[in-house]
Amino acid sequence: MTNLDHGKFTRMTTTFHTLLALDVFILFFSGYGLMFNDELWWLVTLMGGSTGVTAVHRIAGLALVALIVFWVLMMLTTSTGRGNFREILMGPDDVAAAIQDFKFVLGMADERHPNARQFAGYKSDDVPLLSYIGKGVIYIFSIELTLLTISGLLIWSKTGVMQYFATKTAAMAFVVFHGLLGVIMLMGVMFHIFEHGFHPAFYPVEVKAFIPRKLIPEEHADTDHDSTGISQLTLAPSWGWATNVMGVLTVIGIVSVLVGSIFDEGYPVPRELVVGGGPTDLLLTVGINVGILVLFIGMALQMYGNLLRVRWQKQLEQEARATATTDGGQVNQPNDD
Amino acid sequence: MSRSLPETRDYSGLAIAVNALVAIAVTAVVVWWASGFAYNAETLFRVAPTVEAGGIGADWRAGNTIPALDFLIAFIHAADVLMGLGILVMLFVHWGAFRRLASRMRQPGETARYDSDADAVADGGRTAADATAAADGSVDTDGSPGDRGGDGR
Repeated sequence: MTNLDHGKFTRMTTTFHTLLALDVFILFFSGYGLMFNDELWWLVTLMGGSTGVTAVHRIAGLALVALIVFWVLMMLTTSTGRGNFREILMGPDDVAAAIQDFKFVLGMADERHPNARQFAGYKSDDVPLLSYIGKGVIYIFSIELTLLTISGLLIWSKTGVMQYFATKTAAMAFVVFHGLLGVIMLMGVMFHIFEHGFHPAFYPVEVKAFIPRKLIPEEHADTDHDSTGISQLTLAPSWGWATNVMGVLTVIGIVSVLVGSIFDEGYPVPRELVVGGGPTDLLLTVGINVGILVLFIGMALQMYGNLLRVRWQKQLEQEARATATTDGGQVNQPNDD
Repeated sequence: MSRSLPETRDYSGLAIAVNALVAIAVTAVVVWWASGFAYNAETLFRVAPTVEAGGIGADWRAGNTIPALDFLIAFIHAADVLMGLGILVMLFVHWGAFRRLASRMRQPGETARYDSDADAVADGGRTAADATAAADGSVDTDGSPGDRGGDGR
């Protein structure tokens, strides 16, 4: 059993995940720098003021269009991609998994449902490609990214919105709509960072999304176990406090951007052509900045995930060389570093 | 002992290359459309302050009271709040689940291992199964893997 657990992503998917993550982070930093400019003035300044921040947002948006089109094509034009469609459909098992998760937390169930399991261990055969949360992530991302791309391009196009609503105030409404739409994804990504960074078996990052499945061994010493075997793993000493700190930060971040989005009404346009105008009180400013901090941590963790992949590949290569030279003798485990 | 890596079907290099090129081409066309099919840099990346045949300076309120847009934004506000609350609930559920799972793991005191080779531990691993953990069946020890190298952290 291993921290790697069981591979799910192909090499293409791991690379895509990393590119999408980096791109979405940049879009969040630039986009919410604009929308929450009262609270994130420093982020706007960092990206070169209002001109710079819009340029960054558009370049990242351009990359997002390319990534989305590529992904849709991969899903439609390849048999591997088409084979995944069955995997993402929600079923009764997913509802049961959600209910069992509640029971598990309350102590009314002994195990998490297979459709909720992140750590599969010995029970890997019972675990589907995507947990119920994973399916939710795909649904939310698909709907959000489609709508955000369409509304973003309409805003970008000089005539895109104007041909439908011939006033600038109406065009502003589209900007507001676009910004409010992204809030769901912003909150979802904060949760995603917590979910895949702070599972005790995988802390500080779950590497399923970073190491291609072809590099992940599947064997176990024996397969007759009545639990996942999580009790054989050692908890990291820092897990307790790190998870509590991150949990608190994530809650503050989600609540703050939610409150911020309620105040950034923007339409009907009040006094100025600025999305914003919420209460610029200290608490909300701190809270929204905490949300941005959570995103920064997420960005660091996904880079660390890629670092682990590089280390793992090196370890596999060293083992292959050692095996070749020793005629299948005992291989000394190399240090990661 | 060498690892047996699984036989998996990956995406073909050709599909990746072709689809990446098509994606870039579609993106280029889409952005070109968004910039009004401009072909000189002078007109790119610029939001025109006016639109031909007016619009700017038109009655402010005319554009400020379109029911469809008003509804759209009210709807998104509601969606934000509902999804936000749902995400928060999920966050707390996972936080709780993680704590419960963590209580079943060996507590700190041994070197963590990030290795899948099942070599017997020489000194016998200390299992500090938490008494508060709910019974999940006694775990068969398969000679729990010990990586003497550790993970270097």
